[in-house]
Amino acid sequence: MCFHFDIGSRARHAGRFIGRVRGELLRALSERKAETGLSQQALARKLGADRAQINRQLSGEASLSLRSLADLAWAMDMEISFELKKPVASAGQNQPMTTSTVRHGQIKYINGSTRKISVVATPANSELGQAKKSA
Amino acid sequence: MTTIEELVEANAISRIEIEMHPRDQVLRLLYGTPDFIAWLDELAKGSQPGRRLGEATPAEQVDDLFNTFLSGMPLVHMRQFRTIRAEKNAVWELKTPDVRIFGWFLKKDCFVGVFGNWTDQVKDHDLYRGYRIAIRRLRRELGVDDTLCVQGVTPGDVLSL
Repeated sequence: MCFHFDIGSRARHAGRFIGRVRGELLRALSERKAETGLSQQALARKLGADRAQINRQLSGEASLSLRSLADLAWAMDMEISFELKKPVASAGQNQPMTTSTVRHGQIKYINGSTRKISVVATPANSELGQAKKSA
Repeated sequence: MTTIEELVEANAISRIEIEMHPRDQVLRLLYGTPDFIAWLDELAKGSQPGRRLGEATPAEQVDDLFNTFLSGMPLVHMRQFRTIRAEKNAVWELKTPDVRIFGWFLKKDCFVGVFGNWTDQVKDHDLYRGYRIAIRRLRRELGVDDTLCVQGVTPGDVLSL
């Protein structure tokens, strides 16, 4: 017996993208904290914002605008890399299901017509950051 | 000795799956009791708390959490998972801004959800103690306290990080 938690393709893409952006921010902050001791309090001070508001934005309890995202990356001295690209099938990956085996109706898989969004924060002064800038 | 397969055959728990990206593989396992799965079903249909905190809907938050868990990606301790109380055979909580899921780890990387509720309900009514007691009672009834329950309370005891 198996339960398939299916919220639909659109909601799935939105939720996982939002989660990935927040996860990347938390990862970057944790990395900066280990390297330079940057705390949420220091981050808030640098942005002239309330620490609780920064915490809510990072935890997902408050909306995050593009401006806030850019500000947070700036305060962490990180660069944002952003691109939209077509999904590419790679060797060894699973085949997406084309027929439904669950009770929530047919799976809405749109092959080749979706655009993938990638947001990765990299240190502004790192080799990786430089390479991306010059590319 | 009770096994996970026996619990599934007895309909005490069922496997939970989600749609994963073709490049991802299932590296952890997720189960739920019948009541928890009924709650998840309502969530998937669009059930919402009175006051929503997250930018994503509660169903999107849970799908993202399950995706992170099942595909073996790291979860942030305290922000995304934690013990209710540091004790042997602890009860664990999976967290999103608007949702709280309570259960325990049958084995490392293998979680069973027993209760799901809105974050504000859990906090406003301080439901932690009640859920902890109910889950410990369920484990006793299933006879899995010694066999299918992670004893440790550190993040590394329950998840491959």
